[in-house]
Amino acid sequence: MTPQELDDVYTKLGYALTDVGEKDTPLVLARLALLLMQKVGDAAAISLAIDAALEGYRPK
Amino acid sequence: MEFTFGEYFPYVHHPARVPQGLAEGVEGRRHTVAIVGGGPTGLALALGLANYGVASVVLEADDTVCSGSRAGAFTRRTLEIFERLGIIDEVMRSGHGWSTGWTYYRDKEVFRLEMPNDANQKHPPAISHLQNYIEHVMAGRADEGGLAEVRWQSEVTGLSQAPRVVRLDVATPAGNYSLDADWVVACDGARSNVRSLMGLRMQGTRYEGRYVIIDVRVDTEGMPVGRRCWFDPPSMPGGTLLMYKKPNGMLRFDYQIGEDEDEEVAMRKENVFAAVDAHLRMLGIERKWEPVWMSLYRASALTLESYIHGRVLFAGDAAHLIPIFGVRGMNSAIDDTHNLAWKLAFAAKGIAGPALLDSYSAERVHAARENQRFAMKGAEFMSPPSKPFRLMRDAVLSLSEKHPWFTSLMNPRQHSAIPLTQSALNAFPERSAQFEAGPAPGNILPECPLIADGKATHLTSLLGPQFTAFLFTEAGELPRGLTEAVAALCARAPLELRVISKADDHTGRLFPLYGAQPGTFYLVRPDGHVCARWLSAEPAELTAAVARILEPQVPSTA
Repeated sequence: MTPQELDDVYTKLGYALTDVGEKDTPLVLARLALLLMQKVGDAAAISLAIDAALEGYRPK
Repeated sequence: MEFTFGEYFPYVHHPARVPQGLAEGVEGRRHTVAIVGGGPTGLALALGLANYGVASVVLEADDTVCSGSRAGAFTRRTLEIFERLGIIDEVMRSGHGWSTGWTYYRDKEVFRLEMPNDANQKHPPAISHLQNYIEHVMAGRADEGGLAEVRWQSEVTGLSQAPRVVRLDVATPAGNYSLDADWVVACDGARSNVRSLMGLRMQGTRYEGRYVIIDVRVDTEGMPVGRRCWFDPPSMPGGTLLMYKKPNGMLRFDYQIGEDEDEEVAMRKENVFAAVDAHLRMLGIERKWEPVWMSLYRASALTLESYIHGRVLFAGDAAHLIPIFGVRGMNSAIDDTHNLAWKLAFAAKGIAGPALLDSYSAERVHAARENQRFAMKGAEFMSPPSKPFRLMRDAVLSLSEKHPWFTSLMNPRQHSAIPLTQSALNAFPERSAQFEAGPAPGNILPECPLIADGKATHLTSLLGPQFTAFLFTEAGELPRGLTEAVAALCARAPLELRVISKADDHTGRLFPLYGAQPGTFYLVRPDGHVCARWLSAEPAELTAAVARILEPQVPSTA
């Protein structure tokens, strides 16, 4: 994926979630996370990504 | 909170009785085993002990079977044990076999559970039945057999242990008395009197989800047998509901009540009946129905740290509570009794040292924790423990129709025997490691048809109240020294040698299923768990493996 392609999908998601609205955004993001888990297909890599996402947000 | 509207079938109500020949209020006869609690656990244990010729007295506080049906699904392992207890014919005659479950999100089917089933099996993966009818069958069997004496309306109010004896105080409407027993087994359920009398507490987790459970009598003709589960159904937006057909024209409903909902309001008859009506209407079922029993359920995963305290042992709900998801409550209780019956019988008869009973505790505490782990997964999906968890669960549900890849997360993980692979009773792991297939020590026997004694039967039907040694052969030839080793062992403990020839394997599936070649040898415990296996029989090691069970090293874990 090129930087331009990344920019495209990032922007697509931002606009799409704006259309969906704040209330349903968590559900759509959860669906997206699950679908990406399936695409990645590598439990260790997903587990590392979960840890990275949690950085700075773990309960003290 | 519980309401009983009627009987599931005509119950037999038994009178209270005080035994003859009391000396200063104590029964003159000393019992080998006293079982506290005449529910499915206590009755199964009494029938199990009777198979070994060990008498027991069962003390049950009520005058009949339990009023609520409670457990409703009995798995293949339990049916295998029922066969050994001599009640399988009546249970199968009066129950419904099933192997399929359906999961719906809103009004769409999103997952179909197919329980393991193939041509090798003798029993279906599960049957739908009424717990109290099974209790009724067990109590009848106990009366026929003569070795298990059930005393109804007999509540245990006191317990004290002296070296080698336990005294129980028993209260009945016909008078109070005490009795002495070599061993006491507490099978008196979730609110065990024995546990409180001994000051013991179960440890673990209580879950948030609360469920209304109701059994109704209705014409169930034409309805499918098997678990049906709805998430967010049109009849109950945002809710989770299970519906399950039972014998005798009964339907079971379980549905979750909202987090903020008041229990008293949720359990009002008009509210519960309206929920049942709405769901039946959604299914297009316009039939009259009547309630039989309803209750409020909250899942707990609790266990005692040890199931043996001196000469008092614990089994079933008195020992552990397992969330209902995955039908592991009564099924694991029956497995407890099957593990305990032979060990207690061997200890009582002096065949084995009392250390064998420690292995009961180690193995079944391990099994309870495994059952809880699997049931928790089911509980978490049915009632997510937090709002974010619920968000992820709902995301799975909303994807599941178009993306069946995710539906494995919905599998209710139905009960099966927990492998005891770390048991101290297992022997010669290095021998087992040489196999390319078949059950390793600690596992139960995969079912397979074969010819035995000239008749078509199944492998598990050859098990009895003894060790069973299976020798796989070309045509019945015996390895040197085996006959002598078996004869010497038979003098110490009951053991049956079963010689299987290639011709007995009429389907040709048995040898490969067990990774067997001529000379292969399996040693199986009386409860059906493999304890050792050899690709090529080693008579001296067979002797060592049995000796190790009769005089086990005190195990630390299962």
